[in-house]
Amino acid sequence: MTADDLSYLTISEAAAGLRRKEFSPLELTKACLARIEAIDGKLHSFITVTADRALKQAGEAKKELHSGNDRGPLHGIPIALKDLYMTKGIRTTCHSAVLENWTPDHDATAVAKLQEAGTILLGKLGMHEFAFGGPSVDAPFPAVKNPWNTAHIPGGSSSGSGAALAAALCYGALGSDTGGSIRTPSSHCGVVGIKPTYGRVSRYGVVPLSWSLDHAGPMARSVEDCAILLQAIAGYDAKDPASANVAVPDFRAQLKDGIKGLRVGVPRAYWFDENKGTDPETEAVFNAALKILESLGAVIVEIDGKAFSIARKANQTILVCEAYATHEKTLQATPMKFGSSVRRRMLEGAFLSAADYITAQRARSVLNDQICANFTCVDVFATPSAPRPPEAFESMDPNEQNLRPNFTNPFNLTGLPAISVPCGFTSGNLPIGLQIAARPFEEATCFRVAYAYEQATEWHKRRPTL
Amino acid sequence: MATDITFDELRAKALQAGLELADDDLLKLLPGVNRARKQAAELRQFLSDATEPAATFTALKVDKVSPP
Repeated sequence: MTADDLSYLTISEAAAGLRRKEFSPLELTKACLARIEAIDGKLHSFITVTADRALKQAGEAKKELHSGNDRGPLHGIPIALKDLYMTKGIRTTCHSAVLENWTPDHDATAVAKLQEAGTILLGKLGMHEFAFGGPSVDAPFPAVKNPWNTAHIPGGSSSGSGAALAAALCYGALGSDTGGSIRTPSSHCGVVGIKPTYGRVSRYGVVPLSWSLDHAGPMARSVEDCAILLQAIAGYDAKDPASANVAVPDFRAQLKDGIKGLRVGVPRAYWFDENKGTDPETEAVFNAALKILESLGAVIVEIDGKAFSIARKANQTILVCEAYATHEKTLQATPMKFGSSVRRRMLEGAFLSAADYITAQRARSVLNDQICANFTCVDVFATPSAPRPPEAFESMDPNEQNLRPNFTNPFNLTGLPAISVPCGFTSGNLPIGLQIAARPFEEATCFRVAYAYEQATEWHKRRPTL
Repeated sequence: MATDITFDELRAKALQAGLELADDDLLKLLPGVNRARKQAAELRQFLSDATEPAATFTALKVDKVSPP
């Protein structure tokens, strides 16, 4: 096996290899660290690399596995975290000068759970500053680049998580998602990411952006790996007021059950064409993905997309109000510590009224009812994960961003689980993602559909040239 | 429907909110603020009087009560 092949193993393949003693956790960790050293100077996906700690953890994992103390499929697997997950004794910056030298004294619940599962922490990953705005051009850390073409954005806000996975610098990662921040970089970097149901994964110790829209979740190079990671971090946590006391199923149990007869709702009308519309190449790739789902036995049902389209307005209103409230004191005291992009977006919330915020939360009730009413005639929703492929840094127009349909927002507003899985490439070799959303707490259905699609296609096997 | 606010109104509102921002920054902020205000106003069009917000206070969250 070449060094590249070792680095590009999925978590499930690496876990099997560890148990067959083909390699050790130490070899996996050294392979990742060597690759970070060799490649990440071009990508800037890591803010902090915890090499010494990772090697120590890998040594311990090796001993534990050899002595038969097996903690499960993540034991001995090197992972990395978006730099808004609090890590005890490790700097947590949120990619911002505001927290440039902040070291928390406790771990986020999801981080503690991954540690219990035996993962090895390689370090903390770059992101959009405070998970908002766009790629940071004036933050203390450079903007993350897309491994498929470093002139292009990797998508955000979990940009480092997407880039590090696509470049095989780690085997799994955590991201967070308030309006699409797991699914967009997953789509733009050609990896898999799931935003679980609101309340499924504890947000305790995840630096907040918007309390009622924030979701924590995993990203990986395969659907099965995402299921493995979600299994480790899901579950009730009294420390998170939004945590749901709902049983956690075995997310891999139905993975291979297929999708024969599954009704896939496509909310195209009134949504895909709004304003500047969906990029034609993206829509063509998406339509081809629907054909694959159909060939696997799914039934495609076109549904009304109006409520999905309006959802963006409610999502954005709630987001800017809650983001401003979260950061109000710092914006008043030291506004210039924030980068220009995130500062402007957060400040929008200062000029909306209490009535605006409450109106958006009222609209959320109505839109949630309207969107979920579709579940009487469909089992899942399918859309492209992003309305267009990753843009070049040079031609980025933040104003145009608001003129395209946003396919991820509605599932933050409604809290529904939604996954992005690679479904093709542009003529310029940039990845495109397929989004599948399901009923509340039916992440297993998202995994089942995404897995069926993934296994029927070859997109996930492509690697960027680095 | 909310009308656009002017630069001077934005500057006054910023000061009221305890935000000391340079004129250059306020100018760049103005289009986004007006877009956000318009977006929020549009949401009012399809709400009935009976619609309650998604976030409501609950005195007792059953799933937060410790077992006896």
